[in-house]
Amino acid sequence: MKVIENTVVKSNTEIASGIWELVADSPKICSEYRGPGQFVSILPIDGWQHPLRRPMSIAAVKKSSLTIIYKIFGDVTSEFSKLQKGDNLNMLGPIGNTFSGWDDSGYDPVLVGGGVGLAPILNLKNTCADNGIAVAVIIGARRGAEHFMDHDPDNGLWLTTDDGSLGAAGTVMPTLEDVIASLPNPRLFACGPEPMLEAVRDFSIAKGIPAELSVESYMACGIELCQGCVIAKPNGQDKKNSYHERYSLVCADGPIYEAKDISFG
Amino acid sequence: MADITVTIGKHTFQNPVFAASGTFGYGLENPDLVDISAFGAIVTKSITRQPREGNPPPRIVETPSGMINSIGLSNIGVDKYVSDMAPKYADIGCPVIMNIAGSSEDEYCEIVEITESVNSNIIGYEVNISCPNVKHGGIEFGVNAELTESLTSKIRKRTGKLVIMKLSPNVTDIRSIAKAAEAGGADALSAINTVYGMSINPHTKKSEIYTTYGGLSGPAIKPVGLACVHKVSLAVDVPVIGIGGITSGKDAVEYILAGASAIQVGTANYRDPATGISILDDLKRYLAEQNIATVAEMIGMVETYES
Ligand SMILES: Cc1cc2nc3c(=O)[nH]c(=O)nc-3n(C[C@H](O)[C@H](O)[C@H](O)COP(=O)(O)O)c2cc1C
Repeated sequence: MKVIENTVVKSNTEIASGIWELVADSPKICSEYRGPGQFVSILPIDGWQHPLRRPMSIAAVKKSSLTIIYKIFGDVTSEFSKLQKGDNLNMLGPIGNTFSGWDDSGYDPVLVGGGVGLAPILNLKNTCADNGIAVAVIIGARRGAEHFMDHDPDNGLWLTTDDGSLGAAGTVMPTLEDVIASLPNPRLFACGPEPMLEAVRDFSIAKGIPAELSVESYMACGIELCQGCVIAKPNGQDKKNSYHERYSLVCADGPIYEAKDISFG
Repeated sequence: MADITVTIGKHTFQNPVFAASGTFGYGLENPDLVDISAFGAIVTKSITRQPREGNPPPRIVETPSGMINSIGLSNIGVDKYVSDMAPKYADIGCPVIMNIAGSSEDEYCEIVEITESVNSNIIGYEVNISCPNVKHGGIEFGVNAELTESLTSKIRKRTGKLVIMKLSPNVTDIRSIAKAAEAGGADALSAINTVYGMSINPHTKKSEIYTTYGGLSGPAIKPVGLACVHKVSLAVDVPVIGIGGITSGKDAVEYILAGASAIQVGTANYRDPATGISILDDLKRYLAEQNIATVAEMIGMVETYES
């Protein structure tokens, strides 16, 4: 069940350059939370200047505390960064489905995240740790200052940067190939910018490795009203007279999809 | 307490706050978030003869105090509407108005005939002749007075239920279209549908909507809607339903003063589908504060400098 809740900010801190972590007390949403992959949709705090809620992945749920990680993109997120302890923030959620198969002992989970796609990957990483499941994690960023974790391959955490200033230089893809090589039964979980998801999707299909992607879609409502947040399904010819066969509604069917079930661009 | 009922055609509604087409799904999606029995009525997503996928993404983008959409009338089609939705409307505690769209007179008429042939549990039709986002989705009717009158009268002949024609602001003279719909036998007119708009991303240099142009909605269009409602209500005798950027009781009051007998809440539902209920509470408070006994006596009472 989804709820609209006036949450109370507990902390709001910049954890890397332009990347913020906000923890809010939100007992109602937390009690409905079903697992990593779900998101909330947050009301801008400047009245009707920005009419639409902002979907944001849940980075953690602990008792009645909900964590999100956001990147400052524009006016709305920059207003969020001014929120102080005790301020209200209106959230709708939890929305969407969850990552699956990570708790299946037949698999070696490999988690790939980048940019704003960090939150659900961190959530899955920590949830796996809580359940004693070993995972490999690869996080990409443009430059070192955008990372807030340590490059630590010995403990299964690889960082990459486009400019080579931290961890492995380049995108997450070469590191992903290296990591996969030593795993008997990899299963990929990815969230991040579209080019990254597309690369992971194509790679997983070419190699026959199962992969779940968390997609981020522009969304007006998050509650199946507007029909705006669609993603194309593959082989989606221009069928006449179909409904939700060519396009899937991310707020209803996603945000997690099997890589083979969606196409980009 | 003030009398907040409003009468449109032969139907009296418990209050003047309706949910607008395309912003409230089929009314059944979010029972946990909103009690639809509080609304005066709900208007469904546009229903077409055949189901429709809608347009490729991107379909929506936020703009200053508004949004542009080009959904492309994605809907389940009239057959599924009749078989799956209509039975559910029997006991939802709120009158349902079915919004319909088509690319020809025949299509509109078939939708009405199919719906009339079953126990549809709807109280009337809102006829979308104003969707800016599909090439043949009604707008060719909505910009032409003759076609509007002819279509209205054909629908009128096929149903005794409410017939509401939904007008586009994207016309030279909305009054001429309004008069044509009235002449065709419409019980009421609703105004406005979305306003043509465009949005460009300066970084990628791309259009932010797949179909290039889309429909602008939200608070940004409230002044446009108010002017249209005022003009239309002076031009016709049938009731007008005001739509466009309504987010508060104050907005609803302005529309009623401009000439609306009822109002529809659209884009605001995306923030919270229960916005209509808070608008209704605001409206009741306003009536009490102003010592106004009925909503009806407020309709069209705006004071203008010229008359
Ligand atoms: C995403 C979206 C979808 C819409 N779909 C329809 C539709 O299917 N049929 C219709 O008659 N109007 C449709 N509308 C128009 C609304 O019913 C309303 O006329 C318009 O949005 C102005 O009101 P607002 O500013 O309160 O949103 C849609 C509007 C939006 C934003």
